[in-house]
Amino acid sequence: MLEPLYIPGDRGLHRLPAGYKLTVLVAAGIGLFFVERLWGLLAAFVIAGMLVWSTGVGMAACWRQVRGLVWVLLAVGVFAVIFQGWMPAAAVLLRIGALVGLALAVTLSTRTSDLMAACERALLPFERLGWVNAGNVALALALTLRFVPEIWRHYQDIREAQAARGLARHPVALMVPLVVRTLKRAQQVAQAIDARRG
Amino acid sequence: MRDADRAKDKQLATTEALVKTQDTVLIALFAALIVVLSLAPPIPLPGIPVPVTLQTLGIMLTGAMLGPRRGGLACLLYLVLAAVGLPVLPGGRGGFGVFFGPTGGFLVGMVFGACVTGWLARRLVRAPAQGTRAVVAYAVACLVGGVGVVYLVGIPWLAVVTQMAWGKAALAVLVFVPGDLVKVAVAAWVAWRVERVWPVLRESP
Repeated sequence: MLEPLYIPGDRGLHRLPAGYKLTVLVAAGIGLFFVERLWGLLAAFVIAGMLVWSTGVGMAACWRQVRGLVWVLLAVGVFAVIFQGWMPAAAVLLRIGALVGLALAVTLSTRTSDLMAACERALLPFERLGWVNAGNVALALALTLRFVPEIWRHYQDIREAQAARGLARHPVALMVPLVVRTLKRAQQVAQAIDARRG
Repeated sequence: MRDADRAKDKQLATTEALVKTQDTVLIALFAALIVVLSLAPPIPLPGIPVPVTLQTLGIMLTGAMLGPRRGGLACLLYLVLAAVGLPVLPGGRGGFGVFFGPTGGFLVGMVFGACVTGWLARRLVRAPAQGTRAVVAYAVACLVGGVGVVYLVGIPWLAVVTQMAWGKAALAVLVFVPGDLVKVAVAAWVAWRVERVWPVLRESP
């Protein structure tokens, strides 16, 4: 459950520091909206594709990430062709493809822990201002990862129990116990943490 | 005298810590709940062409149950998990790519959606709430926050990324509205039922 999308590797993109990759990604995200020429966008798209390929990702994993996007892009493409013509449609699709490709390359080549560390560094100025507490953020992240499998198990249990009562497709019968169990568990966990903190 | 004061101070500090810890834990566990609901298999609804994931149901419930501050933070935490490359979005997707795609605005909009849902729910639902009135109030909160605000961020984002006219972008997402309306009804009903058995949530914003 919750295997990160990261692909292990030690060449090229994998070696760059996470903060550097994120900065370039954000800059590219803004910059590509100023590129109007088709060949420029095509070049960006090809570079993004090569970067994704260089991470050594398998076809199946790659397809799972873009599968949901294919239908959206198809609809966008059809809309754009009808209302704007072929060239703008190609430009829009290439731009989205390039952006998603670049972002996917960063995701595949950077460890989740490195990205989290980069996020924590980004939070540092806010912590100095007293807006956030890094300890609480870390605790919340750790708790979420820890409790996804447990809440998933609750979800399965409740669904089976309600199916046995003939309520398999009843969303209210599923959701009410699930939310109440989550609330109850949150209270227990909070008390346990405070008891240990003394 | 001094000792008594100090003991009282310590007790107060502990109570404060408990509230804060409980807030952090609630935010984390509801983020986990949103992950579970996003990964749960979509429910096919009769008469609605697109499969309905429970993700937005989770957003509405998080806002309605936790209130504006904690609800918004829980959604933000969920998006951070997606951004750092965990497959927590429907269909096992994740990573930065989803935010650069055409539907990224619907994700970012969820944070504001949960905030507004929570704020409205706190405003409209007076404790102790009566049956029908409470359900209707929760439904209004979920409709404005969980659908209205999410679309308000998502549609312009879609229009900018795809360079569509705003009206056409709005037209394109119309297929999702019936499913969202069903989810509003379910979320309102669930929120009311949960609040009857677990009323302690109202104590902090």
